Amino acid sequence: MNITKTLDAKGLACPMPIVKTKKAIDAIKSGEVLEVVVTDKGALNDIPAWAKSGGHTVLEQKTEEDVLYFYIQKA
Amino acid sequence: MSNKVAIIAANGGLFDAYKVFNIATAAAASEKEVQIFFTFEGLNLIHKQAMHALEMPAGKEHLTEGFEKANVPTIPQLVEMAQELGVKFIACQMTMDVMGLTKEDFVDGIEVGGAVTFLEYAKDASPTLTF
Repeated sequence: MNITKTLDAKGLACPMPIVKTKKAIDAIKSGEVLEVVVTDKGALNDIPAWAKSGGHTVLEQKTEEDVLYFYIQKA
Repeated sequence: MSNKVAIIAANGGLFDAYKVFNIATAAAASEKEVQIFFTFEGLNLIHKQAMHALEMPAGKEHLTEGFEKANVPTIPQLVEMAQELGVKFIACQMTMDVMGLTKEDFVDGIEVGGAVTFLEYAKDASPTLTF
């Protein structure tokens, strides 16, 4: 997987991870992949729901020691 | 599917402000068109001075620490973010008249309107939320 950009949103609370993810995805091109790194557990459901609302694809997500990683391909 | 979210902000405490602006910014970040109609105590949320000192509900003051620990953005930060994301603020003309407030008492970029302005916008919005 080719990661175009990484967003570090660790330590931020709702709604900041979503707001920052939106801004980061605006800055990449269609088909490119954004890596989002967060610690807000609400993001576990929020990021996939957000991706769905914009037609983006979550290619992969994983949790490592309370840190969540999402790989989102821009629509 | 409607791409519009309509919010009525009718209460002026700190918790009310978080409910309103978290949903509004999240919706705007999800490509929704968002309008908030501020009426009665809800006007506090966009009042230049009042927005900096919104009160916790009585007996909940101990949660100040929790807000800091959770690294929650401040209300003025959320207001700025909402506007940056294109959320439209409508202040209720009638309430402003009752309270002796003018447009200059509020953050820049708001519009002033009446109930019909909001109803016209909200008629095909989904969801419409009231806080």
